Amino acid sequence: MGESWFRREFLTPRRLAFNVLFYGSHLFWFAYGWHSQYTNQKLAALNGLKFSVWTSRGAGLVLAYDGGLILLPMLRNIIRIIRPKLTWLFPADENIWFHRQVAYSMAFWAMVHTTAHYVNFINVERTQVRPQLALQIHYTQPGGITGHFMLLIMVLMYTTAHHKIRNQCFEAFWYTHHLAFFFMIGLYSHATGCFVRDSANPDYISTFPFYSTEHCLGYESWRFIIWPGIIYFGERVYREIRARRATRLSKLLVHPSGAMELRVVKPSFKYTAGQWLFIQVPDVSRWQWHPFTITSAPEDPYVSVHIRQVGDWTQALGERVGAGPSVVAALTQAAMKGGEKDEKDNGFSVSRGDFVELDPASGQRSLPVVRIDGPYGAPAEDVFNVEIAVLVGAGIGVTPFASILKHIWYRQRSGKLGSLRRVEFFWICRDAPSFGWFQSLLQEVEAAQADPNFLRINIYLTQKIGDDMLWNIAVNDAGAEYDPLTLLRSRTMFGRPDWKSIYGRMRQAIESGQYIPGTHSQLKTTVGTYFCGPTPIARAIKEATLENSSAAVNFTFAKEHF
Amino acid sequence: MGKLVWHEYSRYVAITASVYTVWAGYFGLLYRKFFWDFVSGIRRNPGGIQPAKQDALFITIMVKAPVIQIISILLGLVVLAFEYPAPFMRGTAAHRSLVTRVVLLTFQIFFAIMFYQGTNGAIWSLVALIGYSRAIMLGEVMKDPKNKRGERA
Repeated sequence: MGESWFRREFLTPRRLAFNVLFYGSHLFWFAYGWHSQYTNQKLAALNGLKFSVWTSRGAGLVLAYDGGLILLPMLRNIIRIIRPKLTWLFPADENIWFHRQVAYSMAFWAMVHTTAHYVNFINVERTQVRPQLALQIHYTQPGGITGHFMLLIMVLMYTTAHHKIRNQCFEAFWYTHHLAFFFMIGLYSHATGCFVRDSANPDYISTFPFYSTEHCLGYESWRFIIWPGIIYFGERVYREIRARRATRLSKLLVHPSGAMELRVVKPSFKYTAGQWLFIQVPDVSRWQWHPFTITSAPEDPYVSVHIRQVGDWTQALGERVGAGPSVVAALTQAAMKGGEKDEKDNGFSVSRGDFVELDPASGQRSLPVVRIDGPYGAPAEDVFNVEIAVLVGAGIGVTPFASILKHIWYRQRSGKLGSLRRVEFFWICRDAPSFGWFQSLLQEVEAAQADPNFLRINIYLTQKIGDDMLWNIAVNDAGAEYDPLTLLRSRTMFGRPDWKSIYGRMRQAIESGQYIPGTHSQLKTTVGTYFCGPTPIARAIKEATLENSSAAVNFTFAKEHF
Repeated sequence: MGKLVWHEYSRYVAITASVYTVWAGYFGLLYRKFFWDFVSGIRRNPGGIQPAKQDALFITIMVKAPVIQIISILLGLVVLAFEYPAPFMRGTAAHRSLVTRVVLLTFQIFFAIMFYQGTNGAIWSLVALIGYSRAIMLGEVMKDPKNKRGERA
């Protein structure tokens, strides 16, 4: 909470611009629809219905507008292509947010439109301006039938899309949302009944669109709003075709922490670091696509994702490949034991993140067929355009940074870092051990650093620490080369990071020229923050970046969504 | 991921349906019409439908005096008090009763289907009713809300 509704909606320039444009355009279409009905002499008979018909026509036009907008933010492939060129114009990463705003608006105007029509038709029946009954218009004519169907579909789609239901049972949301197909059909054909006409009976013809525009005087809005629908449908078909291109699951590794790493070889799959993909395993579920962050770098010869067995689908996948929860538990124990033994024998342990490769030859079953769809965008693609990149991952949100850090490492090795000079990596998590695979990756990256100042890793552990653990840390930490928890050279910090002081110190260091040697304050330095994780942290970081932006240092902020 | 908790889902449908029913009931006060008047009614020009003689009772309680509409509005508000829930309902045994909801929704459907504007509300209430019935069949139990902010001590 904190900031007031008014402050958020009206005192933030970007949000204000959006509100004016979005709601302004809605009101404009409403007024235009109202006006064009009101002044149309041909529709004088219908205008006898007065306010209700003007309202319904205005709201109808607004709904057509919303129907055209609602699919735009879902054109994932097109957004991925245009996003880098248009980041200054609109926050394309907020596509789901925009989709929701259109949906809310649609619900409101649908209420206005429907209410007005219920008044319209009862008055049509009373005045007999058309020789029909209200219920005949409601339940026997295309407009009424499609309208009632669309309302029912909306109830089902909106209720299952509620974030609580979506988190509880993604399938219920996912499958129900495909009713959108029928909804769009209903929307495009809503006016085929030729309700808005200047003749007594509908003027049907035998050729498309099966009514004559001479007497049927609707807005013909479907001519415009059908295009996003066609493009979306085409995109879904394209995604299906692309997903069917040769894909092979080359390796399956199980990390001691329980995460499975799927290494997929798909030559036609091109991506950049920080992007994500949908994965489908037909053996587990024929229709379900699940989003995962790509954890390999584009330079790697394979595409990898790390999957933790936390849900139905992921557990079923584990069972399918012969790495069910029990197997993983056994592996983990063995690995931990092995690690401890090593520690005693050699004096210090090398790694806790050793993985076990599942060999298809030893198992009874071969590796399953997988299909991947993607990649889809994420703001972290533009890390190389800034001088200093601050990467912040919270909880499970660290996953995209696996790919980005690896990618930075590859680029560093080949000397193609762009304007990037330094990387600050923050990892905030409740319990580090559950991200064992990530630790091992961080170890590799950290060990490969030639310049100790290039990459700095800051790990914050927010978990409450018991006495045992505290003593354990105290005993093991003092004088050890590696941090006892993460086995990294960087020390783990405890508690939550204080973003304001972190950014404040960073600004001072940059301004005094200490932070990047050779860069002095005459050059404006851009510090890009890339965050992935829960909203409250995002808000805190954003505030810190805004507060600390100065003439010499420009802090930018980008948040990634799942 | 995983399991749909039916009564939590049905709650959203029931809220939507009830809000719509209250709204429809309000318009039912302004534009009064018996939904089933077309059954053996005659169409007059002008004037619209002239209901059959045997419908006299329904015309009395819906057109002459909007009794059904008022009942629908009140019932809709009761369902909302259950579902939202209203502060005085929170934590009570009635609030956690799924059977009570099924009964209330059955009545809501019955009253809403009688007047002209109520059909959508009735259909959506039916969806909620099916959802709650499914919840009962699966033996779902509504948990005592831990958060009792609305309750007075």
